Amino acid sequence: MRWRTGRIGVLAMALLPLVAAAQQHAGHAPQADDAEARRQRAWEARLAEATPLSVGAALDSRGRLWLARVENRHLLVSHSTDGGRNFSSPVAVTPQPEAVMADAENRPKIAVGADGSVHVSWTQSLGKPMSAHIRYARSTDGGRTFTPPIILNDDRQIISHRFDSLAADGRGRVAVVWLDARSRTDRTVKKSPQTDVGLYAAVSEDGGATFGRNRKVADHSCQCCRTGLTWTASGPIAYWRHVFGRNIRDFAIAGLNGGPVLRVTDDAWEIDGCPHHGGGIAVDGRGNLHIAWFTNGEKRKGIFYRRIAGTDFSKADARLDMSAPLSLGDPARQAGHPAVAAAGDRILLTWREFDGQRFSAWAMLSRDAGTSWSAPQKLAEAAQQADYALPLIDAQQAWVVWNTAAEGLRVLTVAEGRP
Amino acid sequence: MKRLAAALLFLWLALGAAAVGAGELRPFTADSLTAIRHTFAGRPFILTLWSLTCHHCVKELQTLGRLARSERNLPLVIVSTDTPAEAPEIRAALKRFGLERFDTWVFVDAVPERLRYSIDPSWRGELPRSYLFDSAHRREAHSGMLSEAQLRNWLRQNRQAR
Repeated sequence: MRWRTGRIGVLAMALLPLVAAAQQHAGHAPQADDAEARRQRAWEARLAEATPLSVGAALDSRGRLWLARVENRHLLVSHSTDGGRNFSSPVAVTPQPEAVMADAENRPKIAVGADGSVHVSWTQSLGKPMSAHIRYARSTDGGRTFTPPIILNDDRQIISHRFDSLAADGRGRVAVVWLDARSRTDRTVKKSPQTDVGLYAAVSEDGGATFGRNRKVADHSCQCCRTGLTWTASGPIAYWRHVFGRNIRDFAIAGLNGGPVLRVTDDAWEIDGCPHHGGGIAVDGRGNLHIAWFTNGEKRKGIFYRRIAGTDFSKADARLDMSAPLSLGDPARQAGHPAVAAAGDRILLTWREFDGQRFSAWAMLSRDAGTSWSAPQKLAEAAQQADYALPLIDAQQAWVVWNTAAEGLRVLTVAEGRP
Repeated sequence: MKRLAAALLFLWLALGAAAVGAGELRPFTADSLTAIRHTFAGRPFILTLWSLTCHHCVKELQTLGRLARSERNLPLVIVSTDTPAEAPEIRAALKRFGLERFDTWVFVDAVPERLRYSIDPSWRGELPRSYLFDSAHRREAHSGMLSEAQLRNWLRQNRQAR
């Protein structure tokens, strides 16, 4: 019933602007110099109407579940001490309403340091299509109050700075990476047939009070896939869809403390287009990296997982010891948007499937650092639009946070099985 | 309820089509591809899917616009995966590239994945996405931009085949 009602509602909404547009068109031809203003209005309408379904979630060292979500153009943070049954009253991180991006590949990020500090980053959409700032705020009083948000991209141009990722080590260091289009407007940069978007980083050494200058980590990233960031023994490691050669869109990692761009997938996906489909990264207790990704390449198609043996990834001659790609989910049900979380030897993989009508959330658990895996578990279905399934894991629990339009926010427990 | 919904759906689509007329945006729903194929029965056509949020799509429209200038009877159907709220901007973009005379549609579903799936379960949402239908409506899928040469080549082959 709900589905039908929703559909009629959508059609009703759909018809009005179409008719209005037709009438307007019949009345007078729009002026060419109105184009920019119209573009702006359309973009603002899109921002106002976007369903802010994508949330950020994190576990702290005491097993509390932290949530960052967008409501009425405010970014709200709350936490739960009982595995998501009850949440504290939300605290607004944004003093003024703003266009916090929270759909599909965009979501607010939350990280809780071992010292209890709460860090939040997000992408604030601006008036021009695809233009945005990277924003950051923190709490040093357990999430009761947050500092006024700051803009991390120090160029401040009204261009694309999007797809942020956040990591905090809890010992005073906080890192944020994002995809940045500033080389597009930089006349000193030689034009290349590859993309003019790159990966940039800002790092704080004082717990997020101040950030150092922006640093370019890599040129030529893919333009609109989410990024990943995890804190290893050799510092923060970023993970993103890169453009290799002229147009091969495979994944790369790089240490923010310098070091090479290392290719970690080889699927030969050559596309002059936008995948809108990234991947996730996590580090386990032994320093191994665990990555999950989507590809539609010549060599393989679908979502995959692999482990990269721990090493000093910041060394210029770092050599990678990687497991063979493990296929996840059912390609016939569009298995997609994988993510990974790790704690000690416990690794949790999640993804989403779609059978043509309904979404479902899936998970797979390993308790030996990714050597063997439980059978895939289907955790829930959603009748309407659904966020990606977000994995959370510690020594005791494995949870999946899944926000859905019809059923609301759910915290699903992953079965542990036999030890 | 189900029949009422179906009746309303029909009414809306009929009204929608009448109200928008030629060169305007039509609501693309799960059965729209069937309707499009009916229109092109026995004829080859190009179905191109794009979005305002996709950098490469703008270049794709540019290429199609160039092709449309020399190909008076280009069998082209353009589908935007954006929402009807963006109708003014979608029409402005099509006009900018001289594509306003073609059959143009916009996705209408709270779950756009359903519409993607109705077109092709193996399409994962990457854009631009094109389908080249021959006269028997056997189709060739393509992700990413198509070059003008590729399109001209396809047109030449499919016109000869007819």
